[in-house]
Amino acid sequence: MRVVIAEDSVLLREGLTRLLTDRGHDVVAGVGDGDALIKTITELADGGELPDVVVADVRMPPTHTDEGVRAAVTLRARYPDLGVLVLSQYVEERYATELLAGSSRGVGYLLKDRVAEVREFVDAVVRVARGGTALDPEVVAQLLGRSRKQDVLAALTPREREVLGLMAEGRTNSAIARQLVVSDGAVEKHVSNIFLKLGLSPSDGDHRRVLAVLTYLNS
Amino acid sequence: MATHYGQGYGEWGGPGSQGAGERAHRLPAALRAPFEGRTWGEFCYLLLGLPIGIVMFACSVTLVSAGAGLLVTFLGIPVLAGALAACRGFGALERARARGLLGLDVAAPEPLVVKGDGPMAWIGAMLKSGTSWRQLLYTLVQFPWAVFSFIVGVAFWTTGWALLSYPLWFWVFPMFGGQGGIQLYGDDMHRVYLDNPLEISVTALVGLLITLATPWIVRGLTSVDRLLVYGLLGPSRLATRVVELESDRGVVVDTAAADLRRIERDLHDGAQARLVNLAMDLGLAKEKLTEDPQAAARMVDEAHGEVKTALQELRDLARGIHPAVLTDRGLDAALSSVASRCTVPVQVEVDLPARPVPAIEGIAYFTVSELLQNISKHARASRATVDVWRVENRLLLQVTDNGIGGADAAHGSGLAGLAARLDAVDGVLVVDSPPGGPTRITAELPWRT
Amino acid sequence: MTARETNPGAPDGERPPPVRPALDASTWREIAHLLMNLLTSLVGFIYVVTVLALGVGLTVTVIGFPALALGLLGARQLGKLERARARALLGVRIQEPSPMPLRKGGGMFQRLWMALKDPVAWRTCLYDFIRLPWGILTFTVTLVSLFVLWPLLPYLARGLTNVDRAMVRGLLSPSDELERRVRELEQGRGVVVDTAAADLRRIERDLHDGAQARLVNLAMGLGLAKEKLLEDPDAAAAMVDEAHGEVKLALQELRDLARGIHPAVLTDRGLDAALSSVASRCTVPVRVTVDLPARPAEAIEGISYFTVSELLQNISKHSGAASASVDVWRSGERLLIEVRDDGRGGARLDGGTGMAGLAERLGAVDGLFVIDSPTGGPTTVTAELPWRDRESEPQRK
Repeated sequence: MRVVIAEDSVLLREGLTRLLTDRGHDVVAGVGDGDALIKTITELADGGELPDVVVADVRMPPTHTDEGVRAAVTLRARYPDLGVLVLSQYVEERYATELLAGSSRGVGYLLKDRVAEVREFVDAVVRVARGGTALDPEVVAQLLGRSRKQDVLAALTPREREVLGLMAEGRTNSAIARQLVVSDGAVEKHVSNIFLKLGLSPSDGDHRRVLAVLTYLNS
Repeated sequence: MATHYGQGYGEWGGPGSQGAGERAHRLPAALRAPFEGRTWGEFCYLLLGLPIGIVMFACSVTLVSAGAGLLVTFLGIPVLAGALAACRGFGALERARARGLLGLDVAAPEPLVVKGDGPMAWIGAMLKSGTSWRQLLYTLVQFPWAVFSFIVGVAFWTTGWALLSYPLWFWVFPMFGGQGGIQLYGDDMHRVYLDNPLEISVTALVGLLITLATPWIVRGLTSVDRLLVYGLLGPSRLATRVVELESDRGVVVDTAAADLRRIERDLHDGAQARLVNLAMDLGLAKEKLTEDPQAAARMVDEAHGEVKTALQELRDLARGIHPAVLTDRGLDAALSSVASRCTVPVQVEVDLPARPVPAIEGIAYFTVSELLQNISKHARASRATVDVWRVENRLLLQVTDNGIGGADAAHGSGLAGLAARLDAVDGVLVVDSPPGGPTRITAELPWRT
Repeated sequence: MTARETNPGAPDGERPPPVRPALDASTWREIAHLLMNLLTSLVGFIYVVTVLALGVGLTVTVIGFPALALGLLGARQLGKLERARARALLGVRIQEPSPMPLRKGGGMFQRLWMALKDPVAWRTCLYDFIRLPWGILTFTVTLVSLFVLWPLLPYLARGLTNVDRAMVRGLLSPSDELERRVRELEQGRGVVVDTAAADLRRIERDLHDGAQARLVNLAMGLGLAKEKLLEDPDAAAAMVDEAHGEVKLALQELRDLARGIHPAVLTDRGLDAALSSVASRCTVPVRVTVDLPARPAEAIEGISYFTVSELLQNISKHSGAASASVDVWRSGERLLIEVRDDGRGGARLDGGTGMAGLAERLGAVDGLFVIDSPTGGPTTVTAELPWRDRESEPQRK
């Protein structure tokens, strides 16, 4: 897997590079701000070597505000095949909504804390690179809290809500089953119940499923 | 001061307006009015007004005209300053009289600001002070009014009581001074006396009506006095504003300092303490790594948990200091984020043409954030709304919920502190929360861009 | 006494130079002023009497009030001339009153009313009205003494012009001090609110870029170490070691940040201890003397601390000094701070070393900030703050 890292803190950039290299991935470039990120990706793409995934920080020079999100949105529009994982010290549902606008294919938004769980983090990077979704549990909680469909959500059982949250994070059925220590069949049953209660038509692809759930929550 | 005046005035608004404790009276208010202490106080005020008015008017007119006449010789200046000083004295006397007899509490105006030493400085300050001239104006205006209100008040009062007690007089003195009762009309041919029972009772009835009307007339007359005292003897609008601003500035300075102290304490008690612990764990793990790998592994595991908690704490602290999304995207995004963390579903509507300055944005954010926290904690609501919009040069915030109501800005629940914070920047917090709900809290801030 | 001269809050503190028997330039100017008195007072008197009499007399007709208003506007101009004359010849430092806000809208009648109740114009009328006898007197006395009593002339001129100075100051100075104060206070409050908000943003930034970033890295390192602990103990040991170093750095950073926010020692022990601690971290040896009878209000203490702390930082960075001193004492209702160094001087408010920011912050709470720093040194910076007693701590969230 070929990765580009955009992060202004040299310390973290090197840490991430080491972590990913350690796992046998190829870090093609490391940059320190949003403009440089877009430039690098454009150059790589022009050379026919578009990376699989970009890992970008939100707050970077020169304005130290939300460069990372803006750059990510631009890149996603320009290169639909490129996975973009945004990392931040804080998560905001507004940024999540912007990142997910249109498609949840190959997109991720995680708290920086999540790098502490190395394996899960690398899994998330790989998932995004392959076109999956990785949303932080905090973002999902915000989206659930923010949703105007509280009446419908209240009709879900606690376990179904849990499954809904994990689904929105972008996990596959088997990952959800592992997390909740239940059988795959049980998860499938929960999922179909949820879709029934929310009035959504079940879809097979994982990321389409995520999108359906998120659109539902945001509407 | 306007509120003081309003309250004082409202409370004394009419003879019938009673406190709850006095409602047990058997007589209706209209019949009680002539005997109430308040009516007597006002009547005394009218009576005293004339002699005091004469003295004040005479003094100030004499001194001021002497001063004005002597102006050409330069001696007039100190005389004029003396006259103004005397008027300030009269003003203090009149405020005390109004406080004692009318229950009107008007604060003393700002004291004379004398820059430098010596009599010249004092004279200059006295002549320059607008307050002195307003007090002079009071002494001049009060006199004609005192004459008028004295005559009207005394005439009504005496006529009323005299006619009311006419049956008594007629009974005791059927003939008085060669006349048989009050002469209603007289010329060479006819004399009409009020001497038969019907006439006498009609006279008494008229007397009763006048007596009952007198308190209201007196009240009307003294309300003009109230206006005079309030308008001319109180502190000026500007001086009041200066006092208010000085205290506002104190509040904002203190709040800023207190904020910084709180952040420092939070850092110290939270993240710093946790990191010390973490450093210790890691130090131990380092030592044990070779001898007892299992124990070391446990310690590293603990340290790992610790660092994640520390990160979580730091993130919460940072959000409490200043949420990054507020700087990046403004109120709409930041408030949506707060709303999504509230335990109650909240609908947020922000309708602003542009972004206000960071300071106002910050205050607006923290106000809404605190109100939503209150709703989570106390309101027991099932839904809430937040609306933010702009009206001319004010930023308006409205937070409503369908909870149990009963929120009060006077004490507790952080609303008082919030109101003080807003007030310090010329903002307003209005709480409308009847017991049983719903609650509607509106905050207003000056709009600055 | 730089402090006194640049002190904007002090009363017109100018003193004319001491009187000398010989006729020097300032005495000549005073004499000129006294001789001109006759002409100006005559013009002023005639103007005021005519205008007022005409205006008041015409009030029975429609044009009376507008005429009076115009006359008063004219009187304002006379006052302006007199102030200019006093400034040039007597060295009286006096501010111009704020101009009439006639342009600022309002109807015809509103403007008329504004002109009619203009206190500046009325006081100028008073001034012109009482000046005539004085003008005659001073003209005569001065003219006679010029020829007869010339050895006494300097003293006489000084005495007479002192009366002139008092009259100008008393009657021609601005009368909208309250308005100015309101404006000043509103500005001050704005500055305080804005800087407080900016402070919070800065702290959040520092936290984000410093401690938080370091902790993320640490968490990552530990996560890796945990995984490797049993398979590759040597690599894991190196990682734990690294993490241990990292956590110490993070602690250091947090400590520095906390000190920059509000040093705990200031809350606990007050200015003396806190300033000693700042001084000990300065690259230049600093002697600290704090002589206070009690502790001031917390906000004042905080502002004092940060002022000194920033000044000492400046000394470390820019002054090239070998030693410095900090004195803090109370004088009446003011808290005074003096920071001195023997460096190369040349510090300026607009020098881009944060001095302007300090001056603004102090100004916002009625404080003063005065720099005396000739090129070549030494530099003395004096800051003055209003003294407020410490109350029971306001509990605010």
